[in-house]
Amino acid sequence: MQLSGIDRNRRLLTAAAGIVLAAVMSLVLIIGFRLATQIRAGVAMLQQASELETYPAVVAEQLTALRQRLDTLEYTGRVHAELAASVSGFDRDFGALEHQRTLDPAAVRAATRLWRSYAPVLAPVLAYHGEPYSDTATSSALSRNGRVFYAHVRRAELFAAGHTAALHRELATVSGALQAQTASAAARLRLLLSVGVLAVLLLGLAAAYLQLARARGEHAARAAEEQTRDILATVREGFFLLDADYRIGAVWSQALTHLFGRSDFAGLSFEELLRDKVSPETLNTAMKFIKLLWGDRAHENLMKSINPLGQLEVSMDSGRGGKETRYLQFDFHRVMGPGGVKHVLCSVGDITSTVLLTRELHEAQENAHAQVDMMLGMLHSDPLQLGAFLDGAAASLKHVNAILKEPARHHGEFSKKLGGLTRELHALKGEASALNLMSIAQRVHHLEDMVAELTSRSELTGNDFLPLVLKLDELLAHLRGVREMTLRLTALKEGPSAAGSADSAAPSAAGAVGTGELGTALHSLARKLAHDHGKDFQLTLNGLAECPSAYLPTLKDCLIQMLRNAAVHGIETDGVRRAGAKAGAGQVRVDFRRLQNGYELLFEDDGAGLLPETLKAAAVHKGILSPEQAASLDDRSALGLIFKPGFSTSEQVTMDAGRGAGMDVVAKAVYGLGGKIGVSTHPGRFTRFKIALPAISETAVA
Amino acid sequence: MLREEELKTFVDGTTRYFEVAAQQPATIGSPYLLEGEPAIHDYTGIINISGKREGVVYFTAPRAMLTVLLMKMQESDFSHDSMRDLVGEVANTISGNARRDFGHDFVISVPSVFAGDKPQIPQQPGARAFVIPIHWRSHSAKLVVSLT
Amino acid sequence: MSNAPDTVARRPVRLLIVDDSNIVRRRIERSQQFDDLQVVGTAANGFEALELARRTDPDLVTMDLTMPQMDGIECITQLVRLKPAVRILVISALADKATAVEAMERGANGFLDKPFTDRQLNEAIAELMY
Repeated sequence: MQLSGIDRNRRLLTAAAGIVLAAVMSLVLIIGFRLATQIRAGVAMLQQASELETYPAVVAEQLTALRQRLDTLEYTGRVHAELAASVSGFDRDFGALEHQRTLDPAAVRAATRLWRSYAPVLAPVLAYHGEPYSDTATSSALSRNGRVFYAHVRRAELFAAGHTAALHRELATVSGALQAQTASAAARLRLLLSVGVLAVLLLGLAAAYLQLARARGEHAARAAEEQTRDILATVREGFFLLDADYRIGAVWSQALTHLFGRSDFAGLSFEELLRDKVSPETLNTAMKFIKLLWGDRAHENLMKSINPLGQLEVSMDSGRGGKETRYLQFDFHRVMGPGGVKHVLCSVGDITSTVLLTRELHEAQENAHAQVDMMLGMLHSDPLQLGAFLDGAAASLKHVNAILKEPARHHGEFSKKLGGLTRELHALKGEASALNLMSIAQRVHHLEDMVAELTSRSELTGNDFLPLVLKLDELLAHLRGVREMTLRLTALKEGPSAAGSADSAAPSAAGAVGTGELGTALHSLARKLAHDHGKDFQLTLNGLAECPSAYLPTLKDCLIQMLRNAAVHGIETDGVRRAGAKAGAGQVRVDFRRLQNGYELLFEDDGAGLLPETLKAAAVHKGILSPEQAASLDDRSALGLIFKPGFSTSEQVTMDAGRGAGMDVVAKAVYGLGGKIGVSTHPGRFTRFKIALPAISETAVA
Repeated sequence: MLREEELKTFVDGTTRYFEVAAQQPATIGSPYLLEGEPAIHDYTGIINISGKREGVVYFTAPRAMLTVLLMKMQESDFSHDSMRDLVGEVANTISGNARRDFGHDFVISVPSVFAGDKPQIPQQPGARAFVIPIHWRSHSAKLVVSLT
Repeated sequence: MSNAPDTVARRPVRLLIVDDSNIVRRRIERSQQFDDLQVVGTAANGFEALELARRTDPDLVTMDLTMPQMDGIECITQLVRLKPAVRILVISALADKATAVEAMERGANGFLDKPFTDRQLNEAIAELMY
């Protein structure tokens, strides 16, 4: 825009110079022509005046000649005629001179007056006719007329003699004036020509200079244009101007092509540019924001913090055929002109790497969540052991939190925590690894690493512990999830209410399973199992409140397992029960009792009971026993088979029994608590498990 | 689950308030997870947060700390109302900053202020509360962030 | 915005502070460092602000957005109608862009985030008034 402005100015200047040149030339020509005409007329007049100058002398001479002829009585006719011709010629020529306007009137008037004074004297001479002599035989003499004529001639001769010089002088003055006039005209013409030549020269020079300057200006403009182009092609930010209609100007930086995957920016509206890239709400806010810049109330410096396009997430072609998410930062600046805001300069930068860096942590955590799912596949481990581990882990992490909670303000106090944290976490990691709970072990390991990293720092503050406490929270949430999943998989997948109880059964405090909640959970599980398997039975719970909290988690897992077995395998369907003459609904009883030296749990169902032959056949089928071994086994030993690892008919993954949840697991858990388990049965009548647990002092529980 | 930068936003907002308002930065103590009853000081400013995250953020401080803070702010009014006003403003500012950092879908209530040791702090189910002790001069307050 | 040289006597800038927090109000009052700035009133909500604006004819108003009874947005709208020449600086922690842009649309001249330093406040006032 500016370049073309300069161009236009140059052109105007050149045109003006041309016009001035033409004007000067025509002025010079017109004035010169007039001067030349004047000079020519002057020269002709000068010639006339010079001729005129001779007349007074000629007239005087002719008068003298006339008088001499009269003296000698010679013929006077020719001289008289010549005189008349001279006088009339003088009259004619002088008259012509008198009418020249350019002559000095004073000089001409003097000459005229003088010449007019000749007239009365010359008139009688010129008017004379006839023969001035009277001839006698011997002599001739002037006649009477002749004497009068002679007297007139004599008087005219004397007058002429007295005035010829004066008249000549006056006429010389006139011709002198004429000469001076002509000379001055010639001088003026010379001057005019010189001025004309000079003016043309100057104008020529000016034109040449302008031409040169224009060439130089054009060169500079081209160079500037090229530099602008280079900048716009190279700069990594997108730059463009928006006009009052929010349309993009003709000039924009090349980076826009990459940022927006298009190149038709000139004239494109800002709304169009962003329409597919942002939500309508954001676009709306952004348009309002830009509109503020066109108004005169908003201060540009005081609205930077509210720019809605400060960090914009957009999806664009990756150039490899796919889409990728980029983050763009838009900045807006007013461009002021004489009449207010002329444009809004918009710059667009790609801040993806910055944004991604800050999101890395978040994504890492998302991955961690995904591991929960992976972990589920690994849940082949013993559910009771897992339960015990989870309880221990909760206690351990409670301790970790207690260490964190110790007030600390200075490096020394923060530093002191690290040893205890390391010990606690390391032990936990070992247990998790031993149970092959890698998702947990990895998390603890990560936490341990963070603590180790802090150990190497020279200056610790509370800020350094923030990631730690977040990680701890994440680990606790993970453990909670694991516990929940475990319960779901082993026993509670059927019941949402039971799952609810699993939530409440997994608080951060170790082993704090409420007996009331346990009862509720078992009842709802029983209802669910009865419904799902088409069995009709009632669950009766007695004395569970007596159970010490240290045994409760294990007991819960055992009861869930046994209840499930009873519902699936023990209690018969209605038809079978009626055929066996049993009372309608099946009965499942749980009795917990405190004994003198410990505790006893009885679990009994009035179902089909256990058939030693069936158990033996299953053991053979599973490859636990050879057919020979099975044949030699007595009934009592056959019953003991159900506590053998790998025996459980539920070992296979089925919808009914879950996985890895046989009586062997229950037995192991009981042995783990230092207890004993036994089974007695009457085929077709009942199955009864009896679990004995050692005494325990409540306060000794961790 | 609360992200580190989110927690840091609240923590930095708090320490920055002290730095800006009283020209003396607060430091943070050893953070931990809340178990049992919330630890409450004399004045508590609570803000409920909904939208993308649900829960509460509260700033609780002892009278002594607020008094010194007011003094540092060249206040001469140490009345009950002034204390309430101050914790409310701290809580509001902290959460306002958070909203700016986290975007529009962070909806923040006007702070409610409690004096005394039994404020009704709504518990967000499933959200664990992070306790960040805030040390300033010789005093300690607590920032508690409990968001899902 | 006046470019008048300093020697020309100018009426002091009349400042009205609107914020529901007493502390913020006093903070603004104390932090401003201009010799020729005079705090002509402080208001705790939009209604008070409008009433005070009628009485005190302020040149500059600092405005909170979240206030009881009448919020900042509504107050700005009415204030601009009442005193078109008044300059309004929003001082708020509630910095969601749509609300902030709306405040500017209604006629606020600038936006300052809470919390702010003395320097930020003074720079913002200078930008608006000098």
